Amino acid sequence: MDLTLSPAEEEFRDQLRSWIGDNHPGREPDSDDESFAFRRDWQRKLNDRGWAGLTWPERYGGAGATQIEQAIFFEEIARARAPQMANVLGLTMGGPTLIAHGTDDQKERFLGPILSADEIWCQGFSEPESGSDLASLKTRAVLKGDEYIVTGQKVWTTFAHQSKWCMLLARTDQDAPKHRGLTYFLLDMEQDGVEVRPLVQITGEAEFNELFLEEARIPADNVIGGVDNGWRVAITTLMHERAGLAFALQARVQIALGELADELRGSDDPVIRQRFAQLAIEAQVLRLLAYRGLTTAMKSGEPGPEGSLGKWLWADINQDLTTLAMDARGPAAQLVDDTWTYRFLRARANSIEGGTTEILKNIVAERVLGLPRG
Amino acid sequence: MNFDLTEDQREIKRTAREFLASRYTMEKIRAIALDGQPDPHWDEIAELGWPDIAEYGILELAVVAEEMGYALAPSPLAAHWAAKLLHPGLEGRGTVAMWDEDGSADPETPTMKALTGVKIAVPNADVADTLVVTAEGGRHFAVKASDADVQPARAMDATRPLFTVRFDGADGEELTGDHFGRAWHAIAVMAAAESVGVAARVTGMAVDYAKERKQFGRAIGSYQAVSHACAQMFLETEGARSVTYWAAWALDHEPEQAFMAANIAKAYASDAAVNVCRSALQVHGGIGFTWEHDLHLFLKRAEANAHAFGDARWHREQVAAALLGDPREPTASAAPVA
Repeated sequence: MDLTLSPAEEEFRDQLRSWIGDNHPGREPDSDDESFAFRRDWQRKLNDRGWAGLTWPERYGGAGATQIEQAIFFEEIARARAPQMANVLGLTMGGPTLIAHGTDDQKERFLGPILSADEIWCQGFSEPESGSDLASLKTRAVLKGDEYIVTGQKVWTTFAHQSKWCMLLARTDQDAPKHRGLTYFLLDMEQDGVEVRPLVQITGEAEFNELFLEEARIPADNVIGGVDNGWRVAITTLMHERAGLAFALQARVQIALGELADELRGSDDPVIRQRFAQLAIEAQVLRLLAYRGLTTAMKSGEPGPEGSLGKWLWADINQDLTTLAMDARGPAAQLVDDTWTYRFLRARANSIEGGTTEILKNIVAERVLGLPRG
Repeated sequence: MNFDLTEDQREIKRTAREFLASRYTMEKIRAIALDGQPDPHWDEIAELGWPDIAEYGILELAVVAEEMGYALAPSPLAAHWAAKLLHPGLEGRGTVAMWDEDGSADPETPTMKALTGVKIAVPNADVADTLVVTAEGGRHFAVKASDADVQPARAMDATRPLFTVRFDGADGEELTGDHFGRAWHAIAVMAAAESVGVAARVTGMAVDYAKERKQFGRAIGSYQAVSHACAQMFLETEGARSVTYWAAWALDHEPEQAFMAANIAKAYASDAAVNVCRSALQVHGGIGFTWEHDLHLFLKRAEANAHAFGDARWHREQVAAALLGDPREPTASAAPVA
């Protein structure tokens, strides 16, 4: 066991720390549109330095960094309270999926604009009637000549209104068992058959969208990883999402915890102090589970169950953290606070988005503990 | 960066698992803990070098402590380890007398005058040659057990007998040095590691039972109310193990992190072991509530261990003090809440 960094890793950390110190863009604007532009600029700055696709191979515009360097990156971002990059789905899911399953032409065409944030990506997986049971989805794609004609409805599509490309999971074989007849496509969002309607959420904002597809067209060249092989490709995407996200999530928790500590400093309320300390402790558990996950991944080549544990624990922590922030405000909690009211409400989705806590518990129960399926 | 035990540490763990499983069968544990038979394995444990294992490292100590918890070994080893960490020159066997009668749950502010008063919940004092006694002003003394009045108390956890010890102007050697802070943190990590072992063993028991036990024609582990409870046990066990190994490693290699890490480990592992045992009892249903079933022995160890060497609430307050400041010394820069 050795939790220290190698000299090379320390050098990377020091470089990164001083670079972030010189280039930190300041506080993120509150409004959605301004914040998106702000994050896009931040991503471009990082990409100019070669750090947007930190772990991607150098021939695709990445830095070929190790997973440990990726972890260091997230920790330093958190330490400096620096913003997230704009094209988060393209960077954490789309790019890695293409690198694993894409053709050379696809990699050549799509990876660069993900890094530069010239083309934003979104994800079209969930449907109104297919949430946790994703493989039951009904959106149909039918081959006609050299393109697919796609009809159906997607929901919870983050960034759809800013996106050029959508990672779309659609049914190409109606007769196959539900996991086998799916194909993973790249859908061009800029066409007549695609309609994006903002979905107003409990925060009053519309960060998510509904996506209506009415005979939308996808060239057959935009199939990723083979026709009817979409489930396997999608699982890669989700595994990458959870493994890569574990560090990003724990880093965001550290930022929020630091902000909450700033507000609670000096509090003599023993209940508030106990609850805050418990969150700091659980945040440390989250961080160490992510490190253990890294060791497992480096030894076995695959993300371990820690990915599922991390997403689940993160949701619990963030929901409790934002609830504590509200409680600490006392009667003023009835009034809107631009930071904490929004975060308290937004955190309610944490245990639903990207795999519900119930599904993650099923994964742990069945795949780790070997309990029988219900 | 490698969050894994070394091959040597894994070997220590394997040896401990095998040795303890062969010596301390549940039948033997019951005979020692419930029927008052003496623990016959101290000499073998001494031969393995375990009483001095902290000399190799706190992580090595944590690895063996975890296995002691996993095995529910009714051995005075943990009490001896604690004494030895506080009193490195200790000869023979030791234990620690730290809780004042009518005292608070704060282990750092003993009130007993040197050396007259009553200490409660002193583990394994019957087989100790030396008692390490805490006294007013954060002082530590080594007292011969024969110079104190040692009376058995009614311990909830019978695998770890407790004693009430009266001192009436006893002679003691005052211990000095700058090692006490590190020693108390190492003791917290040792206790956390024991709790991790209990949590791991009991999680396994609950999962096995959930696979076997059938109701309404199905294994109960196929119901989410049960399987999700088991998943929660796994999360807390692995979480507790992660913070405990980190804290042990920090004591060996990153002393500036060790204070925070040790508090975090003891707070989280204390709760985790109790939560796991409570939940496992629910998964077992009625059979888990019987004297005949072994689960209650683990529950009692988990609960007792949670209160030994500082409970979760006290350790959490140490974390809060580090991050939010000490409420007893309000700072000028204290920001108003909200």
